[in-house]
Amino acid sequence: MQGPAALQLTPDGRLKHLLTTEGLSQSLITELLDTAETFLSSQGQPVKKVPLLRGKTVVNLFFENSTRTRTTFDIAAHRLSADVVTLDIRTSSASKGETLFDTLKNLEAMQADLFVVRHSAGGAPFFIADRVTPNIAVINAGDGTHAHPTQALLDLMTIRKHKGDPANLSVAIVGDLKHSRVARSLIHGLRGMGCPDIRAIGPGTLLSGDLGHLGVQSFNRIEDGLNGVDVVVLLRLQKERMSSALLPSEREFFNLYGMTESRLQLADDNAIVMHPGPINRGVEIANEVADGPQAVILDQVTNGIAIRMAVMAMTLSTQQESQS
Amino acid sequence: MSVVIRNVRILSPNSSLHQATEIGIEKGLFVDPTTIKDAQVVDGQGGLLIPGLIDCRVNLREPGLEHKGTIASETQAAIAGGVTSVVATPTTDPVVDSPADVRLVLERAKASGLCRVLPTAMLTQGGQGHHLSEMAALVDAGCVALAQGNRPFGSRKIELNALKYAQSLGVGVILDSEDSDFAGGCAHAGQIGTGLGLSLNPPLSETLGLGADLDLVEATGVNAHFSRITTKNSVERIKAAKARGLQITCDVTIAHLIYSEHAIVNLDPNFHLERPLRTEEDRRALIAGVIDGTIDVIVSDHSPHEPGAKLAPFPETDQGMSMSEGMIQSLIELDKQGELPLENSLDAMTLRAARLINRTDLGCIQYGNSADCVLIDPDDQTHFDPTTWLSAGANSPLLGKTLPGRVLGTWISGQHFPR
Repeated sequence: MQGPAALQLTPDGRLKHLLTTEGLSQSLITELLDTAETFLSSQGQPVKKVPLLRGKTVVNLFFENSTRTRTTFDIAAHRLSADVVTLDIRTSSASKGETLFDTLKNLEAMQADLFVVRHSAGGAPFFIADRVTPNIAVINAGDGTHAHPTQALLDLMTIRKHKGDPANLSVAIVGDLKHSRVARSLIHGLRGMGCPDIRAIGPGTLLSGDLGHLGVQSFNRIEDGLNGVDVVVLLRLQKERMSSALLPSEREFFNLYGMTESRLQLADDNAIVMHPGPINRGVEIANEVADGPQAVILDQVTNGIAIRMAVMAMTLSTQQESQS
Repeated sequence: MSVVIRNVRILSPNSSLHQATEIGIEKGLFVDPTTIKDAQVVDGQGGLLIPGLIDCRVNLREPGLEHKGTIASETQAAIAGGVTSVVATPTTDPVVDSPADVRLVLERAKASGLCRVLPTAMLTQGGQGHHLSEMAALVDAGCVALAQGNRPFGSRKIELNALKYAQSLGVGVILDSEDSDFAGGCAHAGQIGTGLGLSLNPPLSETLGLGADLDLVEATGVNAHFSRITTKNSVERIKAAKARGLQITCDVTIAHLIYSEHAIVNLDPNFHLERPLRTEEDRRALIAGVIDGTIDVIVSDHSPHEPGAKLAPFPETDQGMSMSEGMIQSLIELDKQGELPLENSLDAMTLRAARLINRTDLGCIQYGNSADCVLIDPDDQTHFDPTTWLSAGANSPLLGKTLPGRVLGTWISGQHFPR
């Protein structure tokens, strides 16, 4: 195995788990995005119900709090006609001292077909994928500050829909890249799609040292970084960044990095503004931009359901074929 | 019973017996073979006879952590790795901080009847970092040094007092330099750890701690040993401190000589260590430090765990790897790879280690010294198989691997342990 990313592919390169966007090929990402688009109606809304996963059981394993991501996975699984079980592990076995490994073995015994995992420890979904019986697919719904691959894929889907092939685009990511699994996964995804110009914008305390290795150019001044970009991705700023002395205040962050109309004018005239949500108005984004014509934030949510349907359908069909 | 080991090549550079082909053992000591009558003759089959390795940092897990390992299981593992003396860490449960604890460790070691166990004890009571331990009584009971392990001192003032008091008793101290503000991350703050989204431990955690500790050591004049340095910067600082006359020593773990941060790329929890694996540049600087003598000693930092301790996502697993069992083989491997000559690594685990624990009767094959030696076939190999593994801790990157060198037999105080 070369890197944990190899765990998610079959020997012939098909997706059996989705753990990270790192190392995903352009053709595989394109296949995922194309599949997701087939789940959208002509009005751009996800189709209401298809029988693809009838009789399958999807288990949402959430070791960390999340309402929005969990809801979109729920909806996606229901629309594929799967049975969905949601386990909020914080309030169940983990607090009774059962280890992750034992929880896993119990769920396997209950004949689950797919685990959707969110965990505060980086690498936890890899641990699970490495140890589940071969017929169970694992989807990473966010692990620590490591990866959030379905968010990255829905971002890529949104970018492709509005701006075309990422191989011709400039993308700026603004805010707390250092602690963001969303940013890290998006960067890997953009690189996989051949995006030539990825920029990180934020103060030194929120940019990590490995960005250069990932082919990302860092900017401390937003005015330098936004110049002519096609896509602006804003990241959510967590309150604990202030208490850990990485930033003085939300107000200062907004003054330096908040996306205002005047700053947005530095980007390309047709640039889109994205945000993984939930947005903090007046912190990462000004009201007039959040509600303005260039924001595609709600479209991201819609695409998120289609992407999660595509990922579930693809990983389970790989598992099914390898069984038969 | 007297023994003569014949047909060997003695590798003990500072001894007049270096390159000799036979040695006698009588009453637990090395003697001139020509003076022994009626000796049992052992044919060494042309193998290398080296002084038994002295491993200055081993977690034997007793008392209190017997589910991870016992003195019996871990000293048996050590012998298989060519080790004849181990310095036991005091970070057991409870920690070793009273003469009774020290005696318990020594008695267990004696009952096991395997390799030599040299205990250390905590500098502060309970390892809590607040009240000084009864250092004189601990030394009387048989401690070779006092340490604080991975537990922080309550304050720099308390640390200063502990070092000053130890100095006044002439006791050596072992320090794990680390700044508590920066400690705790599970991976080196570099490209790999950042990319995997792990909590990070920057080199600054060591450098800041080492800088402060060096100042305190200089202020007190205590005989200090810095354990488990991991960075190029630390090697340079220790080199400079030694050059200006400070009486200090330091060690590096075998893992940090073999592996760099790249080892964690598959999130194998065996590579989750208390001191993270750092960059390739750091690894090379550590090897150079052993060769030029800046780094005095190589340790296993042997840390056996029960299976459940490593059965979790990487950041949530217990730290440390089980390494004793492959010490001599790992040194031979580093030699064969052209990384670290055996002559240097052996020196670090024999003569220099003996000097660290003030045991001039160990670490050198010389008439009159304690008969601790290991017969090895450097051209054969050892396969580390789970079915023959001796340590209670299977948390080892050695398992499943084959390394060069094979232990054919070990003598400790003249007692023979065939392999």
